[in-house]
Amino acid sequence: MEKQRYERPIIKKLESNMPNKFGMRTEYRPMTHIDNVGVKDLINEHGSPLFVISEKSVRDNIRNARKAFETRYPKVQFAWSYKTNYLDAVCRTFHQEGSWAEVVSGFEYDKAIHNGVDGSKIIFNGPDKTEDDLEKAIKNNSLIHIDHLDELYTVRKLAERMDIKAQVAIRVNMDTGIYPMWDRFGFNYENGQAWDALNKIMRSDVMELVGLHTHIGTFMLSPNAYAVAAGKMADLAIGIRDKYGHEIQYIDMGGGFASQNNLKGAYLPGTDINPTIDDFAEAITSALINSNFKPEKLPLLILETGRALIDDAAYLLGTVISNKRLSDGRRSTILDIGVNVLFTSFWYDHKITPAQPFTQHTEDTVVYGPLCMNIDVIRENISLPLLNKGDHVVIQNVGAYNMTQWMQFITLRPRIVMIDLEGNVHVVRERENLQRLLEFEKVPEHLKTFEL
Amino acid sequence: MNTKQRLHNAWHCIINSYGQVFFSKNPVFAIILFIVTFFDLYAGIAGLLAVILSNSVASLLGLSKIKIREGAYGFNSLLVGLGVGIYYQPGVEFYIILLMVSVITLFFSVTIEGILGKYGLPYLSIPFLLGIWTIIIATKSYSALNISERGVYNLNDMYAIGGLTMVKLYEWFNNLAVPESLRIYFKSLSAILFQYHMFAGILIAVGLVYYSRIAFLLSLIGFYTAYYFYLFIGANLNELAYSYIGFNYILTAIAIGGFFIVPSRRSVLWVIFLTPLIAIILSSTAYIFSYFQLSVFSLPFNIIVIMFLYVLKFREKDLSKLALVTIQQFSPEKHAYNFNNYMDRFGNLPWIAMKLPFWGEWKVTQAHGGQYTHKDNWKHAWDFEIADDEDKVYADTGNKPEDYYCYNKPVIATADGTVEAVKNDVEDNPIGDVDMKNNWGNSVVIKHAEKLYSQVSHLKKDSIKVEKGQIIKQGELIGYCGNSGRSPVPHLHFQFQSTPDIGSKTISYPISSYIVRDNENFKFQLSGIPEKDQRISNLTTNEIIKKAFHFVPGEKMRFETETDGKTVLHEWLIEADIYNNIYFVCQRTGAKAWFRQSGNVFYFTQYNGKPNTLLYFFYLSSFKVVSAFYKNMQLKDDYPLTVFPNKKWLFLQDFLIPFFKFLKAEFTLNYKSLEKGKVERIVLESSSAFGRRKRVNDTFRFSIRLTPKGIEKLEISHSGKTITANRKF
Repeated sequence: MEKQRYERPIIKKLESNMPNKFGMRTEYRPMTHIDNVGVKDLINEHGSPLFVISEKSVRDNIRNARKAFETRYPKVQFAWSYKTNYLDAVCRTFHQEGSWAEVVSGFEYDKAIHNGVDGSKIIFNGPDKTEDDLEKAIKNNSLIHIDHLDELYTVRKLAERMDIKAQVAIRVNMDTGIYPMWDRFGFNYENGQAWDALNKIMRSDVMELVGLHTHIGTFMLSPNAYAVAAGKMADLAIGIRDKYGHEIQYIDMGGGFASQNNLKGAYLPGTDINPTIDDFAEAITSALINSNFKPEKLPLLILETGRALIDDAAYLLGTVISNKRLSDGRRSTILDIGVNVLFTSFWYDHKITPAQPFTQHTEDTVVYGPLCMNIDVIRENISLPLLNKGDHVVIQNVGAYNMTQWMQFITLRPRIVMIDLEGNVHVVRERENLQRLLEFEKVPEHLKTFEL
Repeated sequence: MNTKQRLHNAWHCIINSYGQVFFSKNPVFAIILFIVTFFDLYAGIAGLLAVILSNSVASLLGLSKIKIREGAYGFNSLLVGLGVGIYYQPGVEFYIILLMVSVITLFFSVTIEGILGKYGLPYLSIPFLLGIWTIIIATKSYSALNISERGVYNLNDMYAIGGLTMVKLYEWFNNLAVPESLRIYFKSLSAILFQYHMFAGILIAVGLVYYSRIAFLLSLIGFYTAYYFYLFIGANLNELAYSYIGFNYILTAIAIGGFFIVPSRRSVLWVIFLTPLIAIILSSTAYIFSYFQLSVFSLPFNIIVIMFLYVLKFREKDLSKLALVTIQQFSPEKHAYNFNNYMDRFGNLPWIAMKLPFWGEWKVTQAHGGQYTHKDNWKHAWDFEIADDEDKVYADTGNKPEDYYCYNKPVIATADGTVEAVKNDVEDNPIGDVDMKNNWGNSVVIKHAEKLYSQVSHLKKDSIKVEKGQIIKQGELIGYCGNSGRSPVPHLHFQFQSTPDIGSKTISYPISSYIVRDNENFKFQLSGIPEKDQRISNLTTNEIIKKAFHFVPGEKMRFETETDGKTVLHEWLIEADIYNNIYFVCQRTGAKAWFRQSGNVFYFTQYNGKPNTLLYFFYLSSFKVVSAFYKNMQLKDDYPLTVFPNKKWLFLQDFLIPFFKFLKAEFTLNYKSLEKGKVERIVLESSSAFGRRKRVNDTFRFSIRLTPKGIEKLEISHSGKTITANRKF
């Protein structure tokens, strides 16, 4: 029999199981393995903290999403949103599953090309596309989603000069009944900006209007907003058909589907209240099918889902540095995971699970990161089992945005591994080291030496 | 038309008139026949004159140029000319009569064509019969015409032609140790051209083999059946041996066995069966005609062939078992190869293409004759559900309908039609319960054609979007999958039936163009009945392939090849004829390749031209292309044997094709890769394997590269050599 663990003694007020600001007591099982690979082994081998991506979860997610849409609509195409996670290993997993690439900068565009994505299967979004970027995109027949009129003029100018017909769509923003309404990207539907842009494109010989794009928000909790948006997009497409006799090839509904993460301020856990991908699929496809498109003329439906496909496929493993009592009596735990690597802790109450067995006793705890900065708080309030120094924790649902928005600040960025379908662990990104950082730095000659 | 063209045209009119006697348009055979007619010089001259006369008159009258050129109006006059040429001594009077009789035969031809043509029947040699009988009876009282004695004293004739040597040669030839039956066979063959000696027969037989192996074989079968029938029944063998009638069996055999009917075991059996009927008709008609001192000539052949073809047209079933030739190609071989190939490729394709009634990939959980409920009257039905990679059909616990992947998924119309019946008010069952009272649950029946309805059942309550009487398009939303009726777990029941009521007796009708997935392997089904546990989905079109294999009449394609440092430009034009057949025609070589495009499939159907043109290779390489890209998907098909490259083996196969096929000509297409790069490219790899039985003796390999602009490059590898053809856009 294994030696019983030591847990510190606690005194706890008896509560009648009401939900409180520390959240519900839901987490009672340790997470010792990820895809049958021991967490302890992973940390021993690759260090702490450590990002772990499950290839199986990634593939399950995209297949599940495809099934949700493809069984409801005849022509569906997913495009992997690079900004959500542009690790080559992740992108290529999605490309293997048939996803195109959706990029929002010249850098991401080049990364997609580097990954071997055909130019015509790259969707180029975003407000900042330089002339060089656009030139590349036009030459490669990429799908350019125009964000503002200045960009429209630039594309027109470049296409004329290059004598290539640019493949363009416009991004449309609209009122879908949600607050806040996103209107900073693209052209507004209600006030006629969208039609203004469409008219300009349709009257140009050097631009081919191939589609319509919208992206109504992020972490959307209401599928109905998508139904409203899809309906308006269909109206716009049919309007173009009636006015110009031009049939667009696709409607791109963007992304923004909520993952199962817990948004800060929500009373109930995300797994219970957040809509599933099926709910979104149902809303979007029903709206399109029931619009005025003829059954054989339904346009291709493109989805740029990012977060909902990757969030729960990645884990962040960490180690307890210390336990501390705060001045007001609250318990605090310091992990080796800081907000610099877990950027999304600003948005979510991440689920933190110990990686070793524990008793039923929990204590309300504040979880801090290792940074010497006041903002470095991973969870302001969480009901955690009693952890000791050196214990490991698993933070779940960290696949989206962390591995792109993280930064080197005080500590260096850790290693990322991927567990493949056979349970083999592959390093997909090395941990940073001083050498790597110094490579970028240049010290002027007169500052090279000093005496103390 | 310049003089050269005129002469060329006239040549065709004349030579085809000779070939038509044996249903042939083969010029070599026709020339042999032409020569044989001149074995009797005056008869030969009379025949040729008759052909020229009747064709000229037909032309002057403005009759169909195509028919004149085919010899359709010449061959009856030729026979009449030969007949009277043999009977009468030449002279001015004779030639005047010949002119008259040619014209009257032409009139008979057109008139009989008018009568029989309405019934889709050929007029064969009826005009000849009417012509020659008319002239024989009429000339009985014309004293200026002298009966020819040439046929009587043929040794004299021989002497006149070639002196003593010729006579000796003739004697030697006649005394050759040829079996009696074969001797009669050759003589009967020659009798078709009013000759009556073995040498002419042998020459004709050689020509016949050259024209068509099947026709030659049939002629033997027809003749020997008759021969043995005569022996068996104890009929007068002299009747067969010494009068101009034995050819009735030969011509009937060719006509029934391979010319008007596609050669097959059945057609050969019918030839054998019909032969005694000819003998009977021959004896009885000969008896009657003897009163008028007339020979029956080819009357029995005409009667039997025309009647038999007429009878066949009244069949109501099994039309493909003894198939009538619909497009006359003047070659029994072509009939056999093309028909068999057509039947293999398109014979079982349904008239209305049905799609699967859902989107995405579903799994067949109960197929035709399934173990649960698809039995007896309802055996031709399917149950579909959605399964994940672990083969589970639900998520979570599966305790409520919403857990099932297929629940609340759209159900779409399988084909265009009218909604006939709708039931929309049956409650969905909790998991495990069945509603035996409303067995079918919420259902929709759509009428697609007379006696062809489709039904979907167990839909979700109040989810049906269509109303009775509504016209519906293929792929339009009908409702959503549910769990109503006799349905313990959500699933979609789908069946075809011949009556409009919900729950009618089912009929077997195939689904068109669907994909069967087995792990990472995709199989395309042009038409088929999905089987249990198959994971199936409707085909998703690949626009690049679709565009690359979409050809419009008037379009031009140019390719460049390089041979021995010389660049050759190949230009193909896409043309359409009045029958809506579309084909490529190579501007340089005149080669033609016919194709058809239906739905998502491009097919080549026929090739006509030399077997070394680029168009021939294109035909071989793209024999069948489905406009969809599923990696490593493979398509197979069989070419018609007419394109078999080894002509020696094909010669042997020709004899045997009515009975069995030992040569194979297989086409395989592999969906190889989506090439990465600045422009998307698709590479299709195909191969043609020609061989005998299981052996492959000759292989062509092709690689076709497609871009969004169309076909860009075609590579051909054969016996170690590679030809590369680059498209010139």
